[in-house]
Amino acid sequence: MPSMEPNEPASRAPGTELALSWRSSRHARRLLTLGLFGLFLATLTRRPEFAGVAAPALLLLAAGRIQRRPPRVTVRAGPSSRRGFEGELMALDVAADLPGEGRDGGEVRWTWHPGLAIAPAGPTAAGGPQARFTFIPERWGRRQLGTLDVVLRDRWRLAEGHATLTLPRIDCYPAPAEQRTRVVLRRLPNRLGEHPARVSGEGIEFFGVREYVPGDRQRSINWPASTRRGRLQVNTFAAERSQDVVLLADATSDVGEPGSSALDLALRGAAAAARAYSGVRDRVGVITYQWGGASWLAPGLGRRQVYRIIDSMLASDAGWARGASFRRLPRAALPPGALVVVFSPLLDQRFVETLRDMRERGFTMLVIDVLNAQPPARRRGAGGPGVDRMARRIWRMEQEAIRFSLRELGVPVVHWDGVQSLDLPLAGYTRRPLAARR
Amino acid sequence: MSPGGLGVRGVPRLAGNAAGRCAAAGLLGAGCLAWAATPQVHRGAAGFALFLAIVCVAAGTLRLALGAVPVPEESFLLPAAMRGWLGFLEFLRLVPWEEGAVVAVLWLEVLHPSRPWHTAFLGAALIAYLLATHLAESGASPRTLRPQARVLAAGAALLALGAGAGMLPAAGPGAGSALLRLIAAGALIAAGGLILPYVARSDL
Repeated sequence: MPSMEPNEPASRAPGTELALSWRSSRHARRLLTLGLFGLFLATLTRRPEFAGVAAPALLLLAAGRIQRRPPRVTVRAGPSSRRGFEGELMALDVAADLPGEGRDGGEVRWTWHPGLAIAPAGPTAAGGPQARFTFIPERWGRRQLGTLDVVLRDRWRLAEGHATLTLPRIDCYPAPAEQRTRVVLRRLPNRLGEHPARVSGEGIEFFGVREYVPGDRQRSINWPASTRRGRLQVNTFAAERSQDVVLLADATSDVGEPGSSALDLALRGAAAAARAYSGVRDRVGVITYQWGGASWLAPGLGRRQVYRIIDSMLASDAGWARGASFRRLPRAALPPGALVVVFSPLLDQRFVETLRDMRERGFTMLVIDVLNAQPPARRRGAGGPGVDRMARRIWRMEQEAIRFSLRELGVPVVHWDGVQSLDLPLAGYTRRPLAARR
Repeated sequence: MSPGGLGVRGVPRLAGNAAGRCAAAGLLGAGCLAWAATPQVHRGAAGFALFLAIVCVAAGTLRLALGAVPVPEESFLLPAAMRGWLGFLEFLRLVPWEEGAVVAVLWLEVLHPSRPWHTAFLGAALIAYLLATHLAESGASPRTLRPQARVLAAGAALLALGAGAGMLPAAGPGAGSALLRLIAAGALIAAGGLILPYVARSDL
């Protein structure tokens, strides 16, 4: 799993000045009880030895009041990286700046309350002017790290200053699935790349033999063929082209177990595809479809584009339609002749209609079905278990009909369970170029 | 750096230290209780005070012993036994057991006839009990008490003076002389408070 570039450590992170609210410690309250009850008994029974019992406790409390207590503390807190992947071990470094303090390291106490989907990988409480907490982001998304309680004790531990710091957010990327092979279009645009095209050019893959014409390189002469035919023959090589790939992630339906839901699989698959196609210098873009709306990122090159794509998908994590209407997507978002790889559970009828519409407009598409759940069966249904069974059967038939209709339109539909490599369901389409039927 | 700034190798030693402090606090509490309860008296709700003191000392020691038990942040969907255990831990952590023990032990001491040096010794033991509880609770080193040594010494002197004042024969019969002795003890405490700024350094 790739790791992100490290962020600045806590010692260099910008500090946040927090106001401390001081109150008596539990130890001080116990001493106060001893002192006051001793004085009370001394007065009640008129026995001075009980005043003597109260004296040490009251003296300690009075001496504790003389100690200086800082009204503010500067806390620096930062994660080891602002970006990480699901399941990656990360760290949160915290440090407190105390004027003339922290020499014995026992004056500050940290208690970390992790945010949603942030699993601590160690203790959540620590002492000392500096501390490190480790955690694992459990699920992709923009995750709040939680809050940090800082407790500063005075030197005599009779008073405690409390403050709470809201920790920063991290971007947790979906852990990409494994994909090594790629689907390549039969007709590739005239742009230099790494996919062998079906025309001769300047690549390295053998394409054929033709007669020598003046200007051909001598090193490409095929001497055995020239000897057989009696005329000079030269080898020709396949041209190498690149393609435009648009990843279409359907974010309308998030069904299934959290962590392996349809949306999880769609994002992990899209991230894997983005990395796989970017690795061979294809231009990759993304469209995230949500309830009739869409956010998009125009195809681009390079590794940075992969992170832009994942950022774009994370930005549409709100569950509401945002951005442009799907029907009005500009040409830059969906270039003609691009390969459209769709990750969807195919549960939204409007999305299926959109796919049909795109197919009729001539786009070459490949649908990766990420639906791995079905409606739950009730234990005691209103009409008995037979009704539920019948309803589920009808639902399955509807789903099969949707997939069949897409296949009839020339859109391959493959199923991916999210566990195995993406190469397996795509094996039938990666061995040979994908032709767009019109 | 490991969480808490503690090395992995240091963990067993620290756990051993914590157990020792917890045991020390428990033993001091039990000692105070036994010291104040003997000889047994049968008046002024002595039985209830004894019961309360035993419960508070035992529960306070149990709280210290179970202080390191981790508590899950989310208690939803936990089995009933686990929820009961978490509720018990929460109850142990919330109730001020040591305060209850101090009140009950002092009340047991009051029920006995005047014995000033016995009471003074009990006062010193109670202070030691509270300090041991604090050290076991916070995990702090006993060295953190070093800056308080002079104040504790002044307190011990006042404790001895209070006991001495209790042993002085009254100037005359009646409540007035006892009140006079009490005022004298209070004046001693006030004098201690006045010299306090010179004894305690204000160095946070």
